[in-house]
Amino acid sequence: MASLNWRTINIDALDPDSPANFDLSSLTPAIAPVSTADVQALASQIRQLLRGGDSEGALQGALENPPYGADDKGKDIHLATVIEILQSIRQSDMSPMLSRIYSSPGGPEALDVLMKYIYKGMSQTSASSTTRNIAPQATGFSQIHSRGGGEGGGQAMSVLLSWHEKLVEIAGPGSIIRVMTDRRTV
Amino acid sequence: MAPPDVHHLFHHPIADHSFSADRQTLAVARENNVDLYQRQGGKFQLKDELTGHDKTVTGVDIAPNTGKIVTCSQDRNAYVWEPSPQGWKPTLVLLRINRAATCVRWAPSETKFAVGSGARLIPVCYFEEEDNWWVSKHIKKPIRSTITTVAWHPNSVLLAAGSTDGHARVFSSFIKGVDARPEPSAWGERLPFNTVCGEFLNNTAGWIHSVAFSPSGNALAFAAHDSSLTVVYPSAPEQPPRAVVSISTQLLPFMSLVWSSEDEILAAGYNCEIYRLQGSEQGWQLAGSLESKGRPGMQDQREESALNMFRQMDLKGKVTDDTKLKSVHQNTINTIRSFEESAGNVRKISSSGVDGRIVVWTL
Repeated sequence: MASLNWRTINIDALDPDSPANFDLSSLTPAIAPVSTADVQALASQIRQLLRGGDSEGALQGALENPPYGADDKGKDIHLATVIEILQSIRQSDMSPMLSRIYSSPGGPEALDVLMKYIYKGMSQTSASSTTRNIAPQATGFSQIHSRGGGEGGGQAMSVLLSWHEKLVEIAGPGSIIRVMTDRRTV
Repeated sequence: MAPPDVHHLFHHPIADHSFSADRQTLAVARENNVDLYQRQGGKFQLKDELTGHDKTVTGVDIAPNTGKIVTCSQDRNAYVWEPSPQGWKPTLVLLRINRAATCVRWAPSETKFAVGSGARLIPVCYFEEEDNWWVSKHIKKPIRSTITTVAWHPNSVLLAAGSTDGHARVFSSFIKGVDARPEPSAWGERLPFNTVCGEFLNNTAGWIHSVAFSPSGNALAFAAHDSSLTVVYPSAPEQPPRAVVSISTQLLPFMSLVWSSEDEILAAGYNCEIYRLQGSEQGWQLAGSLESKGRPGMQDQREESALNMFRQMDLKGKVTDDTKLKSVHQNTINTIRSFEESAGNVRKISSSGVDGRIVVWTL
């Protein structure tokens, strides 16, 4: 007993009032679970719009129904859908389209969702480019291989960067703050 | 509009500031001490220093009528300072918390005050005549994280608190023998201690930086770290609120709020500027900044001599000095408070920030 290091005792585990013993799910807004099949169905609907040439409708549809309640696989499918839409839109169309979405009802929220997908897309392309050169390390970060990979990763990044620039011009730094703050992740 | 009255006190962050009722004395929280400044002419002179805390002071509040100063600190203590012939005399308050105290505010009645803390509770402190000291009663449930901000309802019983668990809550802090029974309001009728009269969460569940009751007490505003401002209009006790209006701004988050009237809120924070927001139950919107563009002495295009230009190029690699912000405050604004009121509307506000400046603004 004498050799017991008191400082290493996890006192929070012994305290019934401790935050370690809280159910943290009650702190966040309720999110309904979404099945992967539903995400897939939405993705094919959006692709149909995209094939029909209505890229703005496709983008709005994708941003208004983010699958917050889906599992990792469902979220990855929706991310791929959003990135596909973003890549299909020409650079000159970005700003007018973003301003139209921003001024529509629920628009600011949709742009916050877009910002989340831009950051998520960036984290994935950079992860794939590092895995090409460096052997994967046990860092605890998820190393997800992106679609396309290789040179496509760099191209996807440049698309995302130009979207990011245009989006900050319209939605301001507030939308970046909300990506960091929001507990509903995409 | 009169230009803002700027006082650059020192090069340290000001965690909190408070003016006395006559606006001649200014208390600022600077590191482990509270500095008392006296207005002399147009300037503030350092008059006294309240030393006693041994960690960063996080809150200071001067009671307008009694002149008592309450301070709280990360050392988990709070003191009430009273003037005496030998100088300011501190009395320790029994907070009974095991984490830092984060903020402190006197109730409008000045018979009690509330302290926010990292211990997930709010000590409501009042003076015990028999034992001759300040004791506290804890508001505990259902707080799940650090309390970052507290604000009082005009009736001195209802207390709003914002927390890092993303909730803004309204509690009753009714203490028998200290408070008179409050008039029933939309927030509640019977209000025993620790009654939760309202619990609000916005969509992103970002943590709350500031809460404030409207002058009538019939609306509550709170600012969260998702750069949003939410205003809640309660309908009746135990009923869902009549309206919850939330606006997310394009700006960086607000750290402090002041209602200037029932339909206007002033908010300031990481953007280093003070913004006006106007609205009602039907909706709120941003109505611009208090900064007047093109103030004298702030223009960025100045005539430069060629020698000076090349010297700047040599020293800094650039001609213009762009290390200064265009706003009056040069860093985050931590606290804004009402400075002068007339006919129920706020006419002037004071602000303090990380840049060590105190600024008085005319609205």
